[in-house]
Amino acid sequence: MAIHKLEVLVENEPGVLARVAGLFARRTYNIDSLVVGPTENAKISKMIIEVSVEGHSLEQVIAQLDKLINVIRIEEVLEGAISNTKHDTQPDYQN
Amino acid sequence: MAHVPTAEGTVMNGATSLVKSLEAAGVDVMFGIPGGAILPAYDPIYDSTIRHILVRHEQGAGHAATGYAQVTGRAGVCIATSGPGATNLVTPLADAAMDSVPMVAITGQVPSLAIGTDAFQEADIRGITMPFTKHNFLVTNPDDIPRVIAEAFHIATTGRPGPVLVDIAKDALQKETTYNWPTTIELPGYKPQVTPHQNSINDAAALIAISKKPVLYVGGGVIKANGARELLALAELLGAPVVTTLMARGAFPDSHPLHMGMPGMHGTVAAVTALQKADLLITLGARFDDRVTGKLSTFAVNAKVIHADIDPAEIGKNRYADVPVIGDVRETMKALVPALKAAFAKSQPDLTPWLDSMNKLRATYPLGYDIPSDGSLSPQFVIERLSQICGPDTIFAAGVGQHQMWASQFVKYEKPRTWLNSGGAGTMGYAVPAAMGAKVGAPDTTVWAIDGDGCFQMTNQELVTCALNDIPVKIAIINNESLGMVRQWQTLFYDSRYSNTSLESKRVPNFPLLAEAMGCVGLACERPEDVDAVIEKAMSINDQPVVVDFRVHRDAMVWPMVAAGTSNDDIMIARATAPDWDSQEL
Repeated sequence: MAIHKLEVLVENEPGVLARVAGLFARRTYNIDSLVVGPTENAKISKMIIEVSVEGHSLEQVIAQLDKLINVIRIEEVLEGAISNTKHDTQPDYQN
Repeated sequence: MAHVPTAEGTVMNGATSLVKSLEAAGVDVMFGIPGGAILPAYDPIYDSTIRHILVRHEQGAGHAATGYAQVTGRAGVCIATSGPGATNLVTPLADAAMDSVPMVAITGQVPSLAIGTDAFQEADIRGITMPFTKHNFLVTNPDDIPRVIAEAFHIATTGRPGPVLVDIAKDALQKETTYNWPTTIELPGYKPQVTPHQNSINDAAALIAISKKPVLYVGGGVIKANGARELLALAELLGAPVVTTLMARGAFPDSHPLHMGMPGMHGTVAAVTALQKADLLITLGARFDDRVTGKLSTFAVNAKVIHADIDPAEIGKNRYADVPVIGDVRETMKALVPALKAAFAKSQPDLTPWLDSMNKLRATYPLGYDIPSDGSLSPQFVIERLSQICGPDTIFAAGVGQHQMWASQFVKYEKPRTWLNSGGAGTMGYAVPAAMGAKVGAPDTTVWAIDGDGCFQMTNQELVTCALNDIPVKIAIINNESLGMVRQWQTLFYDSRYSNTSLESKRVPNFPLLAEAMGCVGLACERPEDVDAVIEKAMSINDQPVVVDFRVHRDAMVWPMVAAGTSNDDIMIARATAPDWDSQEL
C-alpha cells in the first residue's frame, strides 16, 4: 500500500484541522501521520500529511482536499527528488 | 453586487451591519424564524427592504431557500437561531450540498464567551455542518460581518454551487462596528476554473469525431450553468441520443426527437441502454451517481468518457475519465461547437444506425402504466393529467419516493428550472417548502407540489406560512396510504412483508380538512373521471393555496427498475420481466 506525503498550506484559522481531519474520516482516507506547524507567514500554516492510499487514487484525495476553501496549496513530497510535485488549487489535467 | 453607499462607514451594531450586508449582497427575500441568539438581527430586519417570510419550522426555511434558488438561479437565504433552530437546518443544508444548490444560511450563536460551555441553546453548528456545507463561518467579531457575508455569497454561487452557513455569536450582533462592504474578495484557496482549457476541448472534439455510439449524458450541472440553449445546439450538431438525469429533467426538451429520457434506477429502457451500449459518454455536469450507474463495474463497459464538470474532484471519483474538461459546463458546450465543426470537417461518423436502434428501443419500451382493473385511481394517470392540463410553464416540486419517480417520468418537461426535487439526499418532506420557495421566486408561475402522503405529513405545516403570506402553491397529494417506495421494495425484496409502511392516510388525517384548517382550499378526488375537473378547479384558485387529496391505487409500482446494486443490464420493465433483448440489434 502506497504512502504519500503531502505538504498542505492552509489558512491559519480556527477549525482548519477539523475540516481536514473530518474530510479524511468521512471519505475513508487513512492518515498515517499528521504534523501541523506555523510558516513564516502568520496567516498560513503548514500541514504535513502522510496518507496511505488504498481504494482511492491520490488524485482524488488531493482533489477533495483542495475543495476545502481554507486549503491554499498542496504539494506531494517526493523523497530524494529535487523538487516537489506541485498541485495548484486546480489540478491541471491537460497541460 | 448591489451596493448601499449610504451605509458605508456608518457606525452601527453588528445586527444592522448583517442586514445591510445582506441587502448589499442583493438578497430580496429570506425565510426564517427568530429566537434568542438571533434576536438582535430581527430588529433591523423589521426595517429592511428584504422580505422576511416567517416559516413554521426551520427545515421549511431551508427547503424554501432551496426552492427559491432552484427556480431563480440565485442564492436562497434562510435564517435561524442557535441550538435547535440551527440543527433544524441540518437536513436542508445536507440536501442542498448533495444537489449543488446555492444557499446561505444565517444562524445565531450563543455569546462568544459562552461558546464551549454547553450554554442554553448552544450547538456547534459549524462543526455539525462541516461535512455538507461548501464552507462555513463562525463570526465573533462584528467587524468581520460584511466580509464574511460577501464571501459566503461568493462561495455559494460560484464554481460548483453549494450551501454556506454563517454562524454569528450574539454579542457580535450587539456590539458596535463600522460598516464597510468589501470591494474585493480574497480567498487564496478558492479559485474555480470557469473557462475550460482549449486542449481538453480539442481532445473531446477529437474523441467525439471518431465515436459511432456517443451519448450526451446530461446532469443537473447543465441547469445550474444555464446551459440549456448550448446543450440544444450541441446535441443537434452532433445528432446523438441525449439522456437527462433526475437532476437534469428540463435541461433538454422531452419532446425533442433526440431525447431518450431519464437514465438510472427508474429510467427508460432507451436511456439506460443508450448509456450501457455507448462507445462514448459525453458527460455534462453529471457525477456518475450510483442511482445512474447501477453496479459500477458493469456500467457502460465499452464506453470512453468525456467528463465535463466544474468540480475537479468529480473527475475520476466514480468513473475514469479519458478526457476531463474542467470548467463551467455552459462554457464547455459553447467551446465544443466550433471545435466539433472543425473536427467534423475532416471526418464525421454516421450515427444513423446507432440512433435508429435507440429510437426503436424507445418506441418498443415507452413509459407506461397499468390502469387498475377495479376502477380505482392510477397515480401515474393523475400525474400525467397534471402535466397535460397545466402545461410546460408550470413548476413542479416533488417529495421523495414513488410519486417523485412518476413525476420525473410522466410530467413532460420542456424548460429548465421547472422541476425541483431532492435528488441526492432523497429528503422526504422537501416538496411543500420547496414549492413555497419556488412560488416566492416565481410568483407569476403556477407551482405544483406533487407530494406523497408520507412526505406531506413531514412538512405540511408550511402551508400555514403560504396561506398567511400570499403564496398560493398547489399541492397534489398522491395518497396511496403507504410509504410507497419502501412498500414497493418490500413487495419485491422482502416477500411482501409490509413492516411499518402502512400509513392509513385514507382514514387519518383527513387531508382536505387539514388543508382547510391551515387556510388552504382542500379538495379530494378518487375517481379517474373526476381528475380533470379537480385539477381545473385547483387551477382556477389563485388567491389561496390548494391541496388536492388524490386517493390512488395502493399497489402501483414504479417501472422500469434497476434493483439497487445490480447491473443496468438487468433492467426490468415490470416484475420479473426484462426487455426482449433478442429482438434488438445493439
